[in-house]
Amino acid sequence: MKLISILDQLAATPAIAAPAPRRALLAQLGRAAVAALPLGVALPAAAAPADTSFDAVTQLLQLERTQVALYTQALAAAGLIPVAQTADFQRLLAHQTQHAALLLKALQDAGALVPALPQFDFSGKHNVAANPELFPNVLTNYDAFLAVAQQLEDLSVRLYQTQTVNINDPQLFRAALRIHAVEAQHSAHIRGLRKGRGAVVQNWPSEEDAAIVRPTAAQALTAAATGGEENGVQYVTPGVPVPFASFLLISSNTAIHDPALAESFDEPVSSAVAQTALNLFV
Amino acid sequence: MSDHTFLPAWREQSLGRRVFLRVSAASAASVALIAAGCSGTTTTPTAADPYQLALPAGDSGLLYYAYLMALAQVTLYQKVVDAPPTDLTTTERAVFADLRDHEVVHQKTIAYLIDPTGATQLAPTDFAFSLSKFTLTTRAGVLAASQQIADLVAAAYPVLLPLFTSSSAPQRTILLKMSSVQARQAAAVRDMLTPGSFANSDVVGSNGQLLTKTPTEVITALAPYFAPYVISVASLAVPV
Repeated sequence: MKLISILDQLAATPAIAAPAPRRALLAQLGRAAVAALPLGVALPAAAAPADTSFDAVTQLLQLERTQVALYTQALAAAGLIPVAQTADFQRLLAHQTQHAALLLKALQDAGALVPALPQFDFSGKHNVAANPELFPNVLTNYDAFLAVAQQLEDLSVRLYQTQTVNINDPQLFRAALRIHAVEAQHSAHIRGLRKGRGAVVQNWPSEEDAAIVRPTAAQALTAAATGGEENGVQYVTPGVPVPFASFLLISSNTAIHDPALAESFDEPVSSAVAQTALNLFV
Repeated sequence: MSDHTFLPAWREQSLGRRVFLRVSAASAASVALIAAGCSGTTTTPTAADPYQLALPAGDSGLLYYAYLMALAQVTLYQKVVDAPPTDLTTTERAVFADLRDHEVVHQKTIAYLIDPTGATQLAPTDFAFSLSKFTLTTRAGVLAASQQIADLVAAAYPVLLPLFTSSSAPQRTILLKMSSVQARQAAAVRDMLTPGSFANSDVVGSNGQLLTKTPTEVITALAPYFAPYVISVASLAVPV
């Protein structure tokens, strides 16, 4: 799948590339394709290659476009967002629009094929009226909207963590790190809004957060947003865990509460799990 | 969900959390923050300034830098937890307990990454982040101080992360996982002080990206609180 995608991009790349500021991204495409050819032939499909710079930017673009569409539709839905919070969501929309534009330009500058803008559907019906509704009332019920918004922001934090290190253009890499932090601020704010409305939720993913109840077919979003956030193991070198138990000492009256260890680290999400969630809305 | 199964050894420890910061008597010779002026390149030997702390070059210097930021946060949040102002709400106190917990985890994890043996003294015994310039007896003062520090640390990480060499990829990964938690903390504190001030134009640029700070800018901002010690980041890699 990835191999085909890369070859498609190469075919779509102009034969004479204009001087491109994102030359590094383009160079990565070429190297990845060369490296992927023998691997793709020799290895079974299960051995997926690591994401390339192109894969990373393309997937982040779909994520940002999804959030732009959600906030655009929500701000246009009469009575959905309280007046007091309108400015918050206008800010969120503005940031995501800026992020999407940056990623789009990176692809264009590299001469890569830019995916068409999907038709987003936040009901989970995939634009087919007869399909089951996986996310009820997202654009009519504020709490339902906030839950989806929170999970997409959580997914953003995790996917930027995953994909930023795959971006080999230094300038875009540093921009992605700054965007990563902004997505985290977004998530913390929406979590705070939900908390203010009585939801059991922290500003950061926590095992103390109440589960968001949805049909089974919609669980891919939850899996992408917070699945694995309960992880309590970090690695100091590959295969060697940080021995938290040997240096995190607590006493009875100043105990660090148990969920704090996992809360202290945001976890990445695999690109496959993220893509499954993003596909729920197109 | 896993209160009873989660790291039982950690739960059963009975030593005080601050034991890490206690400096052993035998460690004077192993102070890792070396005094500036000890450099062999100077032609005229000068007496080492005991209050001059130079962060080492390379990835360990970057870890020290992160450690100092975590130390500042732990000191501040621990004080709020220990002596919360009367007008700080119960909900807000719970948030500060979480902030304290996260930063203790960060500080101790970074200390482990610097020296897994724990034998190295990471700072002089009387080195501290001073809270005397803050007003921590009122909710407004606590939140203002916390926003100042939380914003500063959140702004530091996106600059710090690219400075690591490729040989420190696992360390960078751990700090990357911490970086978004710092941003979450900053947003949470901002929203407590001024609702809706998360990610506003004070901290996010017109391109939708966080406004960042270099190690020099961060240490300059923290300098009044680390006095009389003076920290030099001259040996750290320079951000592009």
